[in-house]
Amino acid sequence: MSALLTQLLPGGGPVRQDAAPGKADPWDSGMWPLHRADWLGDPADWRNDAAVVVLGPEAAEDAMHVPFTLDATGVGAVERIVVTIDYSPIPQVLTFWPGRARPLLGFGVKYESGSPLRASVQRAGGGWRMGARYVSAMGGGCTAPAAAHGQPDWQEGFGEMRARLWPDTGRLRVWLRHPQDTGLAPGIAAHHLTEMVLEDDAGQIARLELHAPVEENPALTFLLPEDVSGPVTIRARDTMGYRFVGEVAA
Amino acid sequence: MTPDSNIRRRALLKVGIAGTASLALPLAAVAARSYGFEAAEVADGVWLIAGAQDSLNRDNGGAIANTVLLRTGQGAIVIDTGSTALMGAEIRAFADQRLGGVAATLNTHHHPDHWFGNAAFADAPILSLGPTAQAAALNGQGYSDALYSILGPWMSGTTPVPPQSPVQPGAQSLAGRALTLMPLAGHTEADLAILDADTGTLIAGDLLFLDRAPTLPDADMATWRASLDSLGALQPSGTIPGHGPFHRSSAALAQTRAYLEATDARLMRAAELGLTPAEAMAAGPVPDFAGLGAMPEEYHRSVVQRWADYEQRALTTISDA
Repeated sequence: MSALLTQLLPGGGPVRQDAAPGKADPWDSGMWPLHRADWLGDPADWRNDAAVVVLGPEAAEDAMHVPFTLDATGVGAVERIVVTIDYSPIPQVLTFWPGRARPLLGFGVKYESGSPLRASVQRAGGGWRMGARYVSAMGGGCTAPAAAHGQPDWQEGFGEMRARLWPDTGRLRVWLRHPQDTGLAPGIAAHHLTEMVLEDDAGQIARLELHAPVEENPALTFLLPEDVSGPVTIRARDTMGYRFVGEVAA
Repeated sequence: MTPDSNIRRRALLKVGIAGTASLALPLAAVAARSYGFEAAEVADGVWLIAGAQDSLNRDNGGAIANTVLLRTGQGAIVIDTGSTALMGAEIRAFADQRLGGVAATLNTHHHPDHWFGNAAFADAPILSLGPTAQAAALNGQGYSDALYSILGPWMSGTTPVPPQSPVQPGAQSLAGRALTLMPLAGHTEADLAILDADTGTLIAGDLLFLDRAPTLPDADMATWRASLDSLGALQPSGTIPGHGPFHRSSAALAQTRAYLEATDARLMRAAELGLTPAEAMAAGPVPDFAGLGAMPEEYHRSVVQRWADYEQRALTTISDA
């Protein structure tokens, strides 16, 4: 059963993945065999699977903020989820270790050109299942400077964290003010988040490894396990050694 | 857009601006294409070239917004000029052949489907509200990149020519025609609505849509609703929305208001319930409005454009590093 909430809006029905399942790459992409070898270790047990749902737009309305939600709750026990973009100058977006959380993640990315975004899900047993979505884009996402750098006071508010926890659905959404610079814009060094961890009294809930293609001022959605009752601590850090921490309770 | 293509396009743009004074449109290069407009006289001396009820695409060549021409003794007052140089040139040809030339041009707001045909009208004043002229100049390059990407060859020879002169709002005679120019806002930061005194026709720009989904990239919902109140206080004999047919009822006013309220409520509800923007998008538009032109893609665009407004209200600051 899907953990997506689209049905909470009038007219919003269940969502399913439309690419053909199987061992062939639905997009026949020149980059995918390389990415699959680099980040998944060229697994023998791999296939495109409708159980991995990836929601996203057909076209990038704003190449700096292309929203996605991936739902692998139909796959079974999940070890990690690797998100990549085929034709991005920096193809590696993030790796999510759901841990005690459920394998659902909302996030936004920058897009440089029309390309599939892929969520590769490693099951607890070792096999990989993929869901993907193709987004057409005219670029400007990865090689453009962060909007923050157009403003002289960009450091104002840097590190501000906003969040909210919805106990009835287990949703946690967190927003962090951060330039997420890729280092590809002339004269602006790479400066992006590298890690975000969720914790509670019982220890680590989930961990996220982040890379430069994640959107500026990223907003991330998690699905917490049912045994979380107390406050959740969110910790993050970036390439320059800054650390960010916040606590959210229902 | 790579930095290289950006530089190349800017170089072309400079050439284009320098060249507009001579109105040297490269018509030979685009002669194979034609919009083949049909203009209709919807009231005495009020001509409408109706746009397609759709998104910008290569089937409609970017001809999606309404263009209105008002007849005067000195030529036409042209209200909005379309998305491309070719479209501007065809509108201009109609004005020259049927209305004795062009006295002045008005741009209702800064979205490119309303002023990217301006080059064909640069020999007479091109007027707009001050913030419209500023926003058009500021965003022209980005709009140009986007339109070239979407419309391809339809854009041949098009360079952005932003309106130059701020128009004085209020009741006045423009080229001998009595108009009331109303400075409103909400669809963008400056939206010009025009009431033609002779016929009582309201030319509303994109403050009003009918049977085509409103676009919200620069929308301020509360300000827009206040502008609808201002328009609702008028008693026009007929209304020309920015997108949608001429009509003699208050249909565009009612539909635009209902759409904004329902979409505002939907996005607020989505953010308050903890949905992601991708989920809000996947749920589709408000069912009552799913049949409008340019749906569902216009709703999808709106979610991306406006999501931060709602999310900022739904989330709480938990840390201030």
